[in-house]
Amino acid sequence: MAITYTHPLDKHLRLERIPTLYCPGCGLGIGLGAMLRALDKRISEGVIDPRKVFWVGGIGCTARMVFYVNYDAAHVIHGRSIPFAIGAVLANPELKAIVVGGDGDIAGIGGNHLVHAARRNIDMIVVMFTNFVYAMTGGQVAPTTPRKVKTTTTPYGNPEYPMNAVKLVGSLNANYVARASVTTPHYIEQFFYKALGMSGFRFIEVVSTCPEVYGRHIGLRDPVEMYNELKKRVKYKHKPSLEEAEIDWEKGIVIGEFIERNNPSFIEILRGGQA
Amino acid sequence: MVFTGLTQQSVIGLITRSSSKYRVNIIVDRCKECGICISVCPTKVLERSNILNKYGYHPPEPVNIDKCIGCKLCEYNCPDFAVFIEKVG
Ligand SMILES: Cc1ncc(C[n+]2csc(CCOP(=O)(O)OP(=O)(O)O)c2C)c(N)n1
Ligand code: SF4
Ligand code: SF4
Ligand code: SF4
Repeated sequence: MAITYTHPLDKHLRLERIPTLYCPGCGLGIGLGAMLRALDKRISEGVIDPRKVFWVGGIGCTARMVFYVNYDAAHVIHGRSIPFAIGAVLANPELKAIVVGGDGDIAGIGGNHLVHAARRNIDMIVVMFTNFVYAMTGGQVAPTTPRKVKTTTTPYGNPEYPMNAVKLVGSLNANYVARASVTTPHYIEQFFYKALGMSGFRFIEVVSTCPEVYGRHIGLRDPVEMYNELKKRVKYKHKPSLEEAEIDWEKGIVIGEFIERNNPSFIEILRGGQA
Repeated sequence: MVFTGLTQQSVIGLITRSSSKYRVNIIVDRCKECGICISVCPTKVLERSNILNKYGYHPPEPVNIDKCIGCKLCEYNCPDFAVFIEKVG
């Protein structure tokens, strides 16, 4: 009986950089695996040409994913992954841009770019991993941090209200808006697979676990415990409305496909499609 | 059983066990001992082994291989690409 020595995703990874620098049990690797399975399917179907795939990450644990994928990739300034990807797809509209970043990178420092890329329906997929803090720099408050959580920059508890990126992007002109969780890798795969077959601005929020930093803040330092606590809070809904897009550690986290549109993308409009 | 095999890039150590239906493989030096695969397995196939990998972690071992139902939850939930399942026969 022949034994296979390679993991089915090895061909999509830069194996000389594996194992990743991620902490044991970090949810980011689960999300990356799910995305690569979807990409693998689209490539084998002939829908995506791997030579046209192009990953962009800013700075942060999530953005570091672009180091690990066996594709053309750019690692750019913190918060500027979306404008970098805009430049690339406008210069070469054949490119399939995949932007990955943390909630700080994409919705915090990069928030303005997120808003306007969605408004303009620019051709790219943005996958934002929400781990509720700035993880790489040691756990400062992020725009997604729940109220009252003590972080390194909110030692008396976070006084701010968190943002809901799905509601924000969904209110703009994005063609696809979905949310999944690292505790549901099959949904990450399914939603990313769907997004890979579409045009325009596609946004997927992946709720992730950061046992090392966020886990320490909220008393869930053990990766399995944190995974299970997140899993308990995640509720899948079939085509939920934006009003239902709750993301609240106490009340629950709704996942699903919130928006699916077929609006002309920015490149389609430039090429003379309907305005 | 620990096999040593060649990938395109490097020599890897593999823990591998098969039932009549499925083979569970663990790439020893990729594991970070997070325990997620052990926890998500619905039939409790996996347990922490005594093997120490080159980074000082104990990878899991498919001790109850006959209970494996091939669901791949371990493969899909391992953050480090360290587990993969194959159908046998
Ligand atoms: C312009 C700039 N400001 C600040 C930093 C410091 N910095 C590095 S990573 C990071 C935050 C990372 O958080 P997030 O984007 O949420 O990603 P995560 O690490 O949580 O995946 C910050 C503030 C930087 N590198 N560049
Ligand atoms: S700090 Fe958090 S997000 Fe970053 S690698 Fe560690 S567990 Fe993952
Ligand atoms: S494939 Fe399913 S049943 Fe088999 S070891 Fe993995 S999680 Fe357990
Ligand atoms: S999930 Fe992966 S890294 Fe974690 S214990 Fe299992 S094999 Fe090791």
